[in-house]
This record gives sequence, C-alpha cells and structure tokens, in this order.
Amino acid sequence: MSRLRPLSFLILSFLIVLSVAAVVGQAPPARRNILSRFAPRAIERGVMPDTTHAPGTPETRRRQSLRAVAAVVDRTNRSGARYRPGKVIVKFRDEVTAASRLSAVASVPGRGTMSPRAASQNFDIVQIDPATDPEVVARAFGERQDVEYAQASYRVYPQLVPNDLLYSNQWNLPLINMEAGWDIQPAAGSEIVVAVLDTGIAYTAATAQFNAGAFTIDADGNVGPPGSGGTAYPALGNLTLQFVAATELGPSNRFVSPRDFIWNDTLPLDLNGHGTHVSGTIGQMTNNGSNGQGDVTNGGGTAGVAFNVKLMPVKVISTQWDDIFGSPNVGTDDVVAQGIRYAADNGAKVINMSIGRVGPSGCGANQNQDGCAPVIEDAIAYAVNKGAFVAIAGGNSYDDGNPVEVIAEIAERITGAVSVAAVNRARAHPFYSTSGGYIEIAAPGGEFGGFGTSGGILQQTLDLGLIETFDRPPSQYSAPRFDVLAYFYFIGTSQATPHVSGLAAMLIQQGISNPAAIEGALKRFALDIGTAGRDDFFGFGLVDARSSLRGLGLAR
Amino acid sequence: MSISGRLYSVATACLLVAGAVPVAAQPTTGQPSTISLRGYVLASGQRFTASETFETIFGQSVQPFWGAGLELVDAGGFYLDFGFSRFKKTGERAFFFEGDGFGLNTPLTVTITPLELTAGFRFNPASRVVPYVGGGIGSYGYEETSDFEDEAFEDRHVGYLAVGGVDFRISRWFGISADVQYTHVPGILGTGGVSQEAGETDLGGVAARFRVLFGR
Repeated sequence: MSRLRPLSFLILSFLIVLSVAAVVGQAPPARRNILSRFAPRAIERGVMPDTTHAPGTPETRRRQSLRAVAAVVDRTNRSGARYRPGKVIVKFRDEVTAASRLSAVASVPGRGTMSPRAASQNFDIVQIDPATDPEVVARAFGERQDVEYAQASYRVYPQLVPNDLLYSNQWNLPLINMEAGWDIQPAAGSEIVVAVLDTGIAYTAATAQFNAGAFTIDADGNVGPPGSGGTAYPALGNLTLQFVAATELGPSNRFVSPRDFIWNDTLPLDLNGHGTHVSGTIGQMTNNGSNGQGDVTNGGGTAGVAFNVKLMPVKVISTQWDDIFGSPNVGTDDVVAQGIRYAADNGAKVINMSIGRVGPSGCGANQNQDGCAPVIEDAIAYAVNKGAFVAIAGGNSYDDGNPVEVIAEIAERITGAVSVAAVNRARAHPFYSTSGGYIEIAAPGGEFGGFGTSGGILQQTLDLGLIETFDRPPSQYSAPRFDVLAYFYFIGTSQATPHVSGLAAMLIQQGISNPAAIEGALKRFALDIGTAGRDDFFGFGLVDARSSLRGLGLAR
Repeated sequence: MSISGRLYSVATACLLVAGAVPVAAQPTTGQPSTISLRGYVLASGQRFTASETFETIFGQSVQPFWGAGLELVDAGGFYLDFGFSRFKKTGERAFFFEGDGFGLNTPLTVTITPLELTAGFRFNPASRVVPYVGGGIGSYGYEETSDFEDEAFEDRHVGYLAVGGVDFRISRWFGISADVQYTHVPGILGTGGVSQEAGETDLGGVAARFRVLFGR
C-alpha cells in the first residue's frame, strides 16, 4: 500500500497535467458540431413585412459588406470582382503528369503547394503566398503551354435584391401562364431532380453548435476581422442553434443527395434564407390548402412552379453567419464548380444557380483574362454534357453601372444553359435587372417601385428578422434563430431564375431530355416583350409555361 | 355530315361500283370492250416534301397510305383513274428551334385524305407488262387533333400529281402495278405549327405505290 502511494501520486499528477494541458492547449472549438437531426416544431409566423431590405438602406449596405467577414479579407480587381488571396485555380492539360504539375507550381510567382483534388474537381487548387496577387499568378500560369486555364478564386453571391414591402399574392405564376401549364402537366415535374446551388435549404431539422467569433465594421461599412478597424461586434462564443425544415417544401424524402461545400459535409443548412426562398419558387408544395399538409397554420402557404420535383440542396454560397461562424470554405468559383459537378454526377437534371458575380467582358474570346471564370464554364459544360439543364441568374446590377455578370455570360456560350433576366409585374424591365447580349430569357423577379405592396416574389423562408441580428447595433446584437419560418417578398434575378428551372423540370417530365431542346423550347415559346425579337433586357422574352409545354401541331 | 364523311361515302360507293362493273361489263360476245373498268387497292409509302416537319412530328418523313380506286381503261391506251387513300397516324406535338425539331410527348393525330383524279396513257396495253404515265389533280383533306380542342385544325386544298409506273398482268382479271407518284399540295402547310417553323409549305411528296388490280 505504501509503495503504491507514490505511484498513485505520480499517476494522479500526470492526469492533472494532462487535463490542464487539454484545456490550455485545446484546439479551437469545432466550428460546427451537429448535435442531432432534431429540433422542435417550426414556429410559423405567416407573411412578414420586412422594411430592412430596401436597396441602399444602411442595413442593406451593412449586410452586403458582411459578406466579406472572414479572417481572410477578399481583394477586388478593376472590374469589381472580389477574389480570395492565397490560392489560384489551375486546369492543367489532361496529358500533363503530376510531376510536371508540381514543377509548374514551383516555377510561377508566389510558389506554393497543390491541394489534393476532390472527386468533384477536374482542376487543381494551388495554394500561394497570401501576399502575392492571385491574378498575377493566374496570368503566369495561363501563359504556360501545359495549362488550359488559370484564374483567381473569385467570390460569388446570391442574386437577391432584398425587399421592404409586403404583398399578398403570387402574381408571378399567372404571369407565366402557370395555371395552364399545370393543366397540361399535372405531375408538375414529378421525380425530376432539381439541384439548388445556393445558400443551402431549410430542408431538415437539426440542432448544431457553432462558435461565433468577433468581427468589425468600419466607418465605410467594410467588415473585417477583430482589430481591423471600425465598430466591433463581440464574439458570441459557442451557440447551440436549432434548425427547422421549411414546412412548405414538403417531407424529407423529397430531398436527395444534400451536399455542403461551404462546411464540407452533407448537411447544407441554410443560414440565410435565400436558398430556401429560391427552392420555394421551384417546388413549393401546391394545392395543399386543405389537405393538412405543409404549412397548415397559413392555409397551405404559397405555390411553386414544379411542385412535385425532388430537390437537391447543394450549398456553394457562404453567407454572413457562415463567415461569422468561420466556415472552412467561402463561396468562390472553385466551390461553385465543385457544386455544379457534384449535382450533375448525382442525378440532377436541372441546376438552378441564383448566383453571380461581376467581371470583365469578352471572357468567351479570352477566358484567361482577369476576372473570368473558366473553372465554372468548364463545370457548366460538363453538367450540360451529362444532360443537366442549367439556369443562371442574369444579375442585379443594372442600376449600378450594369457590369458584366461573368457567370450569366457563360450561359450564352453553352447551349443547354440559359441566363435569366427579371421582369416586374407589368412585364417591364425592373431597375436592377442586368442587361446585355448574354441575356437569353426573362421571368418574374419583381419590383417594388410603382407596384405598391404587390411587386415581389412571395415564398416561405426563414424569418430574416431573427437571422440578421448583425444588422442591429452591437449592443443589441445576439444569436440568430433558424427555427422560425415566415413568408417574405424578395425581388431579383435570383427570384426569376427558379421560375425557369421549375419550368425546365416540367419540360423534362414532358419527355424532353436534351438540355439544348429545353433551352430551345423556353426561347421559342417565350412571350416577346420589349423590342421586337431578341433584346438585351429580356432575351427572347418572358417564359410561358402553357406555350412551352403545349408546343406546336404540324400545321397549326 | 362532314366533308370527310361525305368523301368516305363517295369512296365507298366507288369501290362497290369498281367491284361490280368488271363483271357487268363483260361482253357476251367474247370481244374485248373498248373501255373497261377495273378496281384496285393500294398501299404506298410517301416521302413527304415537308420532311423536317414530318420527321419532327412522327420521327420519319416516309409514311404509309392505304387506299382504293377505279380506272377506266381505253383499249387504245388512255386511262382515267379515280383514287382515294388515307393516312392516319399519331405523333407528338413538337417545336422547331434553330434548325432542329423537338418532340413534346403530347399526342397529335394527323389524318390526310387525298381524292385524286388522274388521266394518262398506257403503252402497249395488250401486253403483259404495261408501262404508263399520267397526271392529274386532287383534293387533299388534312385534319389534326390533339388534347387541345382549340388547336384542332381541318382543311382541304387542291393539289397536283404526276405518276409513272408499270402494270404486270398476272391473269385475265388480276394484276399488280408499281409506280412512283409525285404530288404537290400547297395551301395547307406553312401557315402555322411546326411546318411554318420549318418553312415547309407542301403537303405532297414522292410516293412509291403498289397496287393490286381487279378487272381487265
């Protein structure tokens, strides 16, 4: 016994040291820890007025600036495209060996290392010195004979112009003759898989733990890591948050192959509400006002275009909370490209991309110039070749100098992918909808000015007022809630694009399997608005469900 | 009764006559009549001039017709042919975009009912193998129906034809013929539907016809 005492003391001491070391030297808390796939029943608050989302309001400016809240601050090039320092996307020619690729990586400025390729990549991510300009490195790579293309890792954003008014109906669906379309195809896209590349979807219940770090906003509204100047928002520490599924999106078996490329897992939770809203327009439960399904509290809520499709949530856009919680990835070109390839490889027949970013013109002629997105173009071509139709938001920057939307511009070069402009309730051009030679089709995106309270696109999503607590003064800043649902009116080409995706799913259900044919049907039967024939504001015109699904006879 | 209904009645009556006349017209003296009447049934495959239109709707531009008719044949070689045929098939509604046609899987039924009158000349009519050529005029009925009642369409227009082929006399009362017939039918296609998209205006085409002849 006496001999055991020193041994016990030693063991006890060792354990104490270990415990202290574990606390002191502990790795940072897990950024996201999924505790369970359960959360209490959703709180449904009905239609919510939201006066904080008007373009140009301080809240909107702050929200937009928050997109960059990450430990690494993005850079902006001359064309306005933001990109991540520290990495470059490089597509070597197929015949180039691994040894040659490594040699090439070592020979360019900012010499760095290559990350292992994921299954959804056909390109390499080259990590470089963060102080080196990725666009310079990309240009150096692009000049090499063994490189097909190289580009910086540009940020992409959802195409949402937030609203500030309350409306009471879905004028957008009759505007595209949707009722007649449902008459022709009551199945409304049954069994067709539509991938929603977005901020995630509120598709499942979950309880998850996050760590919210501190961040700052400077006098100009720029957001940065702590100490970078401006108003400081405190860290909230570890947060246990409950997530609910959007009741109007239907049962869990409706969702297939979920994937989160921001958090690198298979639980693409929506921390923003954008992706959930977009998904509602594609496939919100419809005709469920009296069958006890969906949002019973609000009489079945709203309708969606292809209300029987399967939805594939693919998260490729990081939003404010993703950034504040320190997600391992942000929404950049390479992440989007992986999302596109993943969707195509996992059975998506339609890919909805209510996302975009600005860049230079002429990427079709020279994709290696700064700001272009060859990695996304390559991925879209891959998806179309695998039989997926791709709908891409045309952009919301018409009133901001109408810069080129480089992702939308890609669609014009690929048959089977379309770029989508918005129309307002009067079938006219809304103030924000980007115009250009690459605009191919138009759909309802809404506008508030001149339309009272009936100009937006209404869908169920998360209650924005309880999510965007970073819009409040620091003293009122608090943890967000993702367990409250409400109906919000959004405007933007983000809202126009899912109309096209839903209709494409119905055309596929009709038997058209060729993405080029879907594009052809949408264009051929579009209602020609604006200048006669194709024009830069509406492309071939406003999509028409009835005409597209009905087609033509032989002589009539 | 609709126009097509009346046409059916006329055609049926003609066939009955065609069956009866060869017997009634037999000369009791055994001498050949200067004019004989004979009937026939026909099957044909027509390659439509509006090939892109028919390929888009039906998957191919060659389509079958079935029909019957009568011929007044003069011993000197002249003949007059009255024929009726019919094409009916269900394809799919479709659209045409930038040079390509795409089906939409929505059924579309098309019926074409030509009534044709042909005059021509038979070379060396007394022989077993008789070449012939002719030309004529026709009335071509067209009807299309689908699930969309407001899209139903019916029309009839005059067209023109030229034919050339060979009769093979197998027995005194029985023979076969094979010929090629060209028809030109303007006025029905090209003002709407896929045909307009494809820029095709002719409902006619080139048909390879096979006939079984009854009578001398």
